[in-house]
Amino acid sequence: MSGASIGRPFFPRVMTTKQRAPHFAIFFCQQLDPNQDVNRRALEKELGSRIRFFPLPCSGRIEALHLMRALEAGADKVYLVTCPVGACRYREGNIRAKKRVEFAQKLIQEIGLEPERFELVNASLPGPFSVDAMARELINKAGGLAPSPLNVKKPKEAAHNTP
Amino acid sequence: MITAERKPLPEIKESITPYKKVLIVGCGTCVAECASGGEKEVALLASALRMDAKKEGRDVEVHEITLDRQCVYEFIDQLADLVDQYEVVLSLGCGAGVQAVAEVFPKIHVIPALNTTFIAQTKEAGVWIENCRGCGDCRLDQFADVCPITRCAKSLFNGPCGGSKGGYCEVDPETPCAWHLIVTRLEESGRLQKLTPLYPPADWSKKEGKGPRKIVREDQRH
Repeated sequence: MSGASIGRPFFPRVMTTKQRAPHFAIFFCQQLDPNQDVNRRALEKELGSRIRFFPLPCSGRIEALHLMRALEAGADKVYLVTCPVGACRYREGNIRAKKRVEFAQKLIQEIGLEPERFELVNASLPGPFSVDAMARELINKAGGLAPSPLNVKKPKEAAHNTP
Repeated sequence: MITAERKPLPEIKESITPYKKVLIVGCGTCVAECASGGEKEVALLASALRMDAKKEGRDVEVHEITLDRQCVYEFIDQLADLVDQYEVVLSLGCGAGVQAVAEVFPKIHVIPALNTTFIAQTKEAGVWIENCRGCGDCRLDQFADVCPITRCAKSLFNGPCGGSKGGYCEVDPETPCAWHLIVTRLEESGRLQKLTPLYPPADWSKKEGKGPRKIVREDQRH
């Protein structure tokens, strides 16, 4: 995995006890891990609704709308994991994926969200790759990710839900 | 096709500020082809507006629909049972679409979310170029199917200005000189004599000066 964009402190690492644990959506090229269906089960069971995997036949199939909908549905951080540049089975899939992520980042910037809520990660090959190991690394590096402002209960909402 | 670009989000937000129930209406024809007003763009805008409202703690309902064509009554009819449930329609159609919807539903506020730009050709994926002004007096045949009115920055009818460099326009060095294209194409097809006559100025009365233009085809009418 290229570490270029992973592990950079993109959000303030402050989390109060009342904050919910961060939720992740991980879109990934399934060419990376032929056993992804099996490999991701343990992590899905462990983290429950905190993680959602979305295998793609190629990362080039990603659309800005997929990323937007994942954020809207409650993810605090959305990753797209692609094959290394130059290693796409369909030649240009991961190049297109990068453009789509950049487009989606501009869209959320327009509504005042941090563009880093969407992140493209180039996996590094050759070598054994499993999507669960990659996901664990991404989650660990995200650390005390601040919740998306969409998932922070407003005072009125919070008061309403207090028993 | 007619091209358009989405207005900046702050402008759209401001225009719908007073409303709590918003219907975004897209168009599946021209503006879908130029990736500004089709189903995908409608969904993206709806998602962005919903997230923005949630972030700011505002209660706004945003729903989506895309018509095959927003400028034709038969398609606009699909909104008939829907539009009353909303306070405003945010149109992702071209100017013709916005006005057609507003005409059919005079009581509802219809707001354009696109800036309609020009008549274009899809040059390549993600690139659209203006190549027709809709002048109403087409002479493409005389100019090797390259419109000097639209594609020459100076709209010259009788030869190049002399300022082009290497076949590109002096006004915009990324744009091929229309007259370079015209002469080259006529030369290659042995039709250079097309340029012998002097062409009178275009008849602009067919485009401007008489208000909005109208085409009537009796054989097509009910």
